[in-house]
Amino acid sequence: MVKSFQPVQSTWCPGCGDFGVLAALKRAAAAQKVPQHELTVVGGIGCSGGIHNFLELNGVHALHGRLLAQAVGVKLANPQLTVVAAGGDGDGYAIGMGHFIHAFKKNVSILYVVMNNETYGLTKGQASPTSVVGFEGNVEPPFDAILTALSIRADNFIARTFSGDPKTMTKILEEALAFNRAGRGFAFVEDLSPCVTYNDTFKLWREKILDLSTLPGYDPTDRAAVFRLYTETLESGRIPVGVMHRPAEAPSAPASLELKLLPDRVGPAKAAIGLEENLPEYQKLLKTIG
Amino acid sequence: MSISSAPPTPAVRSPPAPHPVRELDDVSVMIGGQGGDGTLTVSDLLGRYFRTQGLYVYTSRTVLSRIRGGHADASVRASRTPIAAVKPAVDLILAFDQEAAEIGRTELSPEGWILYDSSVFQLNDSRAVGFPFATLVGGAIGQPIYKNTAAYGAISVLMGFDPVLTRRVIEDRFQRRGGEALAKNLRALELGQTSAKGAGVTARWSILPGAAHDLILTTGNQAAALGFVVGGGRFFAGYPITPATEVMEYLMRYLPAYHGVVRQAEDELAAINMVIGAAYAGARAITSTSGPGLSLMTEGIGHAGAAEIPLVVVDCQRVGPSTGQPTRHEQSDLTHLAHLGHGEFPRFILSPESPEDAFYLAAESLNLAERWRLPVILLLDQALSQNTITSPRFDASKVRIDRSGMWTPEELAQRPEYKTYEFSESGRSRYMPPGTPGVWGEVTGNEHDEWGHVSVNPVNRRKMMAKRMGKMAAARTELPPSRIYGSEKARIGLIGFGSTGGPVREAQQLLSAQGVPTRYLQLRTLWPLPTHELGPFLDSVDIAHVVEHNYTGQLAGLIREVLPQYHAKLRSLVKYDGFTFRAPEIVRPVTEGL
Repeated sequence: MVKSFQPVQSTWCPGCGDFGVLAALKRAAAAQKVPQHELTVVGGIGCSGGIHNFLELNGVHALHGRLLAQAVGVKLANPQLTVVAAGGDGDGYAIGMGHFIHAFKKNVSILYVVMNNETYGLTKGQASPTSVVGFEGNVEPPFDAILTALSIRADNFIARTFSGDPKTMTKILEEALAFNRAGRGFAFVEDLSPCVTYNDTFKLWREKILDLSTLPGYDPTDRAAVFRLYTETLESGRIPVGVMHRPAEAPSAPASLELKLLPDRVGPAKAAIGLEENLPEYQKLLKTIG
Repeated sequence: MSISSAPPTPAVRSPPAPHPVRELDDVSVMIGGQGGDGTLTVSDLLGRYFRTQGLYVYTSRTVLSRIRGGHADASVRASRTPIAAVKPAVDLILAFDQEAAEIGRTELSPEGWILYDSSVFQLNDSRAVGFPFATLVGGAIGQPIYKNTAAYGAISVLMGFDPVLTRRVIEDRFQRRGGEALAKNLRALELGQTSAKGAGVTARWSILPGAAHDLILTTGNQAAALGFVVGGGRFFAGYPITPATEVMEYLMRYLPAYHGVVRQAEDELAAINMVIGAAYAGARAITSTSGPGLSLMTEGIGHAGAAEIPLVVVDCQRVGPSTGQPTRHEQSDLTHLAHLGHGEFPRFILSPESPEDAFYLAAESLNLAERWRLPVILLLDQALSQNTITSPRFDASKVRIDRSGMWTPEELAQRPEYKTYEFSESGRSRYMPPGTPGVWGEVTGNEHDEWGHVSVNPVNRRKMMAKRMGKMAAARTELPPSRIYGSEKARIGLIGFGSTGGPVREAQQLLSAQGVPTRYLQLRTLWPLPTHELGPFLDSVDIAHVVEHNYTGQLAGLIREVLPQYHAKLRSLVKYDGFTFRAPEIVRPVTEGL
């Protein structure tokens, strides 16, 4: 056995919501029987982005805001890998916003977990794109990632979880990973993950969350209905959680980008690049040049 | 001479006769008009004809950054000897608009001629012959757009082309478009030829045939794309930008057949980071861009240097800074590239001199990036990227694939451990991408130990910096060597890079004819600068003109930075007006310095 990378002790504050994600992700991956060597976690910059350092698997530390672009590159290069991008709300919704929106449109089968704590914890508590009005002098309305995600009409899996409810989170992450591993497309899970040091919202959020899936007749395949229900829930002062969108059924044609491009799941990383095996084809190609 | 603005008239002015037939072994035609006039088609047709005559061909164009409209020029040069530059004097101007005549006349040779569309404007010039191309074709075919083919017909008479081959060029060019397009173009060709003959035009020139056969007509962008395919490049992400876009477009065409992926990203930040992700996963990964995109990619390239991720960035230089002149030529990214990014990290800058060189260096850049695990810049310039040139066929069998930067699973299974950043004398650590049973690793741009654990240990920091930065010295002899052209005994040196070699070598011939021998050093690795080649070269000459397309003399500055002892020998010969050097512009300063 070749000795490989060993995780380090977590550097998060005791009680941090991110521990919930770490544990749930481990359990979901184990339940889905993802082989360790096939699992790559791409972390962003910020407290939550360090998650790959605490896991015994392939870890990547991306540039601030660029984790989705890197994760998409990994998956398109080798669709056989299970790829998880994990970061915070500043990383994903501020500096990384361009890639965030395009990730839904691209629909590459990766799981993106945003640990939303409504603050920049690592730089000591500044307002973030999701901060409520009044937090650290913030006067801008908070950005809502779920509404944005729902507005892009692609066959994605969209959900919100709460670190205070690890059981539901594990279930949803498991479904998201299964969705990815079936090559069905992009899975986005926003976890409400309080920062116990700079924005401890555990108690507040526990009181306010409303799991939409507990409501009678709730149908996450009905985008318009979820959009309305979600907005009404927000306006009533509650915080909606649960699966917000899942495509009706597995489509007959591949919905994910990687399977549209690489139906046999052999991507650039596994392509044969030896000269001898390709030479006749190369010579044919070069002959076409005028 | 003045250009009158008389109303359009179908009148034809005949050239004075009789006249001698001039023999030419190097001919240049400039075609100008409004965007959409079909100037590029005429350029293409002439290029094709000249190639049937066994001539070397070089074409260039100056277009504005817009889809339609605005003045655009194309120029075709054909010669019996190899050429890689625009001819200083134009022999024939074909003007579809007044601007073409105005621009072109400043470069027209004393024996040159102007053909112009007299249905658009009038030209009062003894060297000008007007044909109402647009109305002529508009009346007979009903579509004035075929005026460009009629003009090609008139040129074929004036230049004494073989009529059968002239027609075959049209057939070859338009066959694919279907019967109607071909028939109309052939009709336009005949209209152009008969009206020229009817106006008393006879052959002014005889273009001497050459022996350049079995060549291809290609650009640096196409050659680089092909080199990447053959070199095992399988992932490309980029963002459209002039003059780099064709690299992406060619790869979109070529790569899907080889399990390759080409993506147009939402911006250059995404492009470089997608390439980083793909390279991390083990693919040979590439992007192409130009100045503004390069600025956005800079953070990603630095990350690749720190995290030891191999990738290749093609920089097709254009006029900067800011949006600059998107369609014009410059070589002003060099200093930025040599010192690119915050902090310090190793990088190689390779600089091909021609499309042929771009093909082989593109393939080699992938080997070097993977073997040394760092970013490699393949540096092109607008002229090299987009001008077409006759080139020997690219030979895939001459390319080598070096995978010495990667572990095989079998090799790794024999080892006790896998460390992403294992220390070694050369600074190289071999890599195992994710997906190998029983092995995993950590890749990070944070300073790290051999395992990839984040580290602030000062001893480790010194060792890691030495490991990464040491790669540039350790790789020196593996990097593409310079080429020297000209007389070994010459005491006058010239130094340049990229497409500048074309006009420099033409200038060397002119200088040699004046009894001034020169030696030219074409640098093919620009960073780390090959001091082991520059030193002996500079020792061998009394003076060295560093010829480059920028304001500050960037290459000269870098040479002074690494070899300050040669400061007094170096002269900067710069041009930064958006156009490539014409050979006399190099000859003049060299002879003035004598």
